[in-house]
Amino acid sequence: MKKLSRRDFLGMSAKAGAATMFAGMFAPTATSLMGLGGVAHANTKKISPFTFAVLTDAHLYDIPNHKFDGFLEQAVADVNSINPRPDFVLYAGDIGQLGKEAELVKGKKILDKLKMPYKVIPGEHDYYLDMGKAWRGLFGDEHWSFDHKGTHIIGMNSILVNDFWSMRNLTPHERMGYMEELECHQCGLWGVQEKQLDWLEKDVRKLRPDTPIIIMTHSPLWDYYPRWNFQTVDAPEIRMILRKFEKVMAIHGHVHQVVYNRIGNINSAGLISTSWPWPYPPIELPYPDIRMNRADPGNFEDGLGGHTVDLSEHFDGVVNYRAFADLLPDNVKRGVKL
Amino acid sequence: MKTIQGFALLKCITLAVCALSALVVMGTAAAKPPLSSAEAEDQFNMLMEAVKKGDDLWHSAKLGSNGLACGNCHPDGSATNPHTWPKFQTNLGKVGTLRGMINWCILVPLMGEPLALDSEEMIAIEAYVMYTHRGVAIAPAKDEQHGAVPVISGPGYPTADEGNR
Repeated sequence: MKKLSRRDFLGMSAKAGAATMFAGMFAPTATSLMGLGGVAHANTKKISPFTFAVLTDAHLYDIPNHKFDGFLEQAVADVNSINPRPDFVLYAGDIGQLGKEAELVKGKKILDKLKMPYKVIPGEHDYYLDMGKAWRGLFGDEHWSFDHKGTHIIGMNSILVNDFWSMRNLTPHERMGYMEELECHQCGLWGVQEKQLDWLEKDVRKLRPDTPIIIMTHSPLWDYYPRWNFQTVDAPEIRMILRKFEKVMAIHGHVHQVVYNRIGNINSAGLISTSWPWPYPPIELPYPDIRMNRADPGNFEDGLGGHTVDLSEHFDGVVNYRAFADLLPDNVKRGVKL
Repeated sequence: MKTIQGFALLKCITLAVCALSALVVMGTAAAKPPLSSAEAEDQFNMLMEAVKKGDDLWHSAKLGSNGLACGNCHPDGSATNPHTWPKFQTNLGKVGTLRGMINWCILVPLMGEPLALDSEEMIAIEAYVMYTHRGVAIAPAKDEQHGAVPVISGPGYPTADEGNR
């Protein structure tokens, strides 16, 4: 008899899950009510309200006094100026551009100026020169979780692709060069892969469904625009593992833009970078009102910034985009509910 | 004034009649496509060579001095809006062209040396940008940020509908 792999098992549960979700639409539960009206509170445990900050996508080059160094410095200074101080800072990947240790060392030096603890996950630009060796040396594990004031916070490496370089005999520099291109035609879709799915399953197994969950990945946990890897190929499996929770907040880098989505119990927000903004891909956004303005190419600060996330007692979240220039329409300026 | 117009009209009619007669005499020869399919394919392939060269330049740091390439901000040539040129562009301070804007991007964000407007490199970059917007309606000065032409097949990946929107 063929042994069922996790993927097969999850595939089967996914189908069962879809049926339950449809049923949920007609028999209102807290989760389905929230999805429809956004009024009802999820039945999550009460938490001690707190604020954390998020930065991402600095894309530093190994060139002295590069303009992107200044933008990361600016974002760090901005976070340090917030009063009361955020409890911690999350960094959602792509500290470097070409995966060089010197880029990552420069980034760490700047991030170390933060007056609060910070946690980092890798992006593809940090990784594919040495397959994450330098990154791990500087920042530790590629996936992690911790508990804070009643919430459970998870970070995962979502940029793992299958080997496309061995058969082509690519050098590490060539491999990084392929991955550096957003629209890379050869690299394939990336994801967290089996080992991290196993880890995630174990990590949340003992948590009660009313535990407030925050998850950070480099790429979105939904299928946004795969051509630019605005996706995580095993996001359906991740969503299945996290399905038992009343409410999950997901934040992701990589897209260099304001974008929002909800799937089931997961609300996701995309983050702006400190390097350059990306235009919206040529598809319809799921929430077209939650977007940023076009950036002015003559103003290098436009399109960039950092973020804070405020969490209430009932685990209602608000993402505040802290844009350096006049990037945000009024509705986004007021904060995006997460 | 009226006489001139009348004369012009008469001339037009005469020309049209002549042209029509010529067409009748030439018969099917006039309907022959200007290129054989082999010629058309050759010419298309030459364009594709320029597009490929432009694609390489687009994603190369060698046009600038600070590591950046056009493709950093403009994946698939998106947000270049080639269908909206010529237009008044604030950065240029005048009604400028797509090639002028390409040079502005090389000079300012990339901190490189502008290309000669009729250089092979400039034509290749223009070919790449235009090809990624094939089929988009020409609309000078239209205030629009356009994505590249969506990839339906070939390199790239289709968007699966997970029922998420």
